[in-house]
Amino acid sequence: MEDISTTKREILSLFTSYRDALDSHHDQRERVIKCSRDITALSKKIVFSLLRITQVSSPDSVFKDAEKQHKQVLDLFRKISVELQGSNSLKYNRQATPGLQEYIEAIGLWTFLQDNVLISKDQVLERLSVANPDGIVVPLVSVTDEDYILGISDLPGEVNRYCINAIGKGDHEAVKRCLMFLRQMKEGINLLMSSTRVRDLDKKVAVLDSSLEKTERAYYSMSIRESEMNTQSGCLSMAVDA
Amino acid sequence: MDVQLFVDLQDRLDQESTLREDIKNAINELYKTCRLASAKLAKAHAVPKSQTKEVTDAIKPQFETIRQNISTLVSLIQPVTFYKYHDMWTNAIQSACGLVVFAIYLDSARLATPSDIQTYLGCRVNTENTDITEFVITLEEYLNAIVSLFNELSRLAVNAVIVNDIQRPQEISTFASDLYAGFQLLNLKNDNLRRRFDSIKYDIKKIEEVQYDLRVRGLIS
Repeated sequence: MEDISTTKREILSLFTSYRDALDSHHDQRERVIKCSRDITALSKKIVFSLLRITQVSSPDSVFKDAEKQHKQVLDLFRKISVELQGSNSLKYNRQATPGLQEYIEAIGLWTFLQDNVLISKDQVLERLSVANPDGIVVPLVSVTDEDYILGISDLPGEVNRYCINAIGKGDHEAVKRCLMFLRQMKEGINLLMSSTRVRDLDKKVAVLDSSLEKTERAYYSMSIRESEMNTQSGCLSMAVDA
Repeated sequence: MDVQLFVDLQDRLDQESTLREDIKNAINELYKTCRLASAKLAKAHAVPKSQTKEVTDAIKPQFETIRQNISTLVSLIQPVTFYKYHDMWTNAIQSACGLVVFAIYLDSARLATPSDIQTYLGCRVNTENTDITEFVITLEEYLNAIVSLFNELSRLAVNAVIVNDIQRPQEISTFASDLYAGFQLLNLKNDNLRRRFDSIKYDIKKIEEVQYDLRVRGLIS
């Protein structure tokens, strides 16, 4: 039988406690990742529900569906909030932020479709708020400025999707709204980019630029077709003359 | 859309980058002191065991400065935002912990405990996975510092022979393998600590080779 020295015994007992601490940290991190992934999946479903708005006669039914899904997301946020109390909120921010960003994108699209405005950070927190056991309404999780900025900078892609659908339905007003919205977002994000660096924002700005361009192209084609329609007889006669 | 929303965001981000600058400056100071201390402590490799006390005594002033550097850093950080900026200083704090771990091994041939670290650096090591309400040294930083010790130990084993201290490698080897046994208890993920842990075996091997060389020549029993 090997004789275990006092030094070794002490070291082993210390490291056993370190193992427990590390395990507990890794488990918690894992739970945040899983929950964040679920939030992402459900938020994407909300986005898809909302995009069906051009397919239905009354937008209310779309918002009603989204409301149902939103309740489920809030249940997930209730679950994740347990892991994100106090200093843990920022400790696990990197794991939690993908879900949170996707959620902000979903409710951002919702707010745009409903009120034609960009959702504010306070509005995001409001949507995330539920009454705690003391009856006070508080947000389930905290949202950092970075979470918010990265969340809304995902919006252009969805707004562009909505815009293309709207063109298909001949809803010119909607196309105009989209274009205005995207231009203002571009202006705002550029303002932010001018002074500070937010991690991962560069990639999202590239998507914003291409969404804006696609929307402008779409608007352009629509305008051409429109003027073509209005002057169709004139154009035709010119073509014949030539 | 309200542009004010973006202007407000920008203001907040600007304030943050000012803070980041201050943190960076504090960390650079800490790095500077650590490098100086590390250079002084490295002299322990060149002297016999009997003279290491002089080496460790000589860096006491640097530890004092390191403690001050850290307290400057601590004063910049609100505990609630600790993890937001944590990445910025984790390497510097690891170096500082590494110095303590090595100095304590040189002084008393034992592993520096979290409370030793606190005594030297003025910050508590958070050895549990709990919510924090103060600036702490994380368990990972402490463990990383211990990994660095293996590297020093393997050098020390070689250098002990150079200064004719042929008993010391045996002592180093026992300590290193006890410590390695401790590390093997940990369930490491595929992270930085894991990668560094994987390199420990090479240091252990080096120490064993020194012992082999001594034994094969009949210099130790």
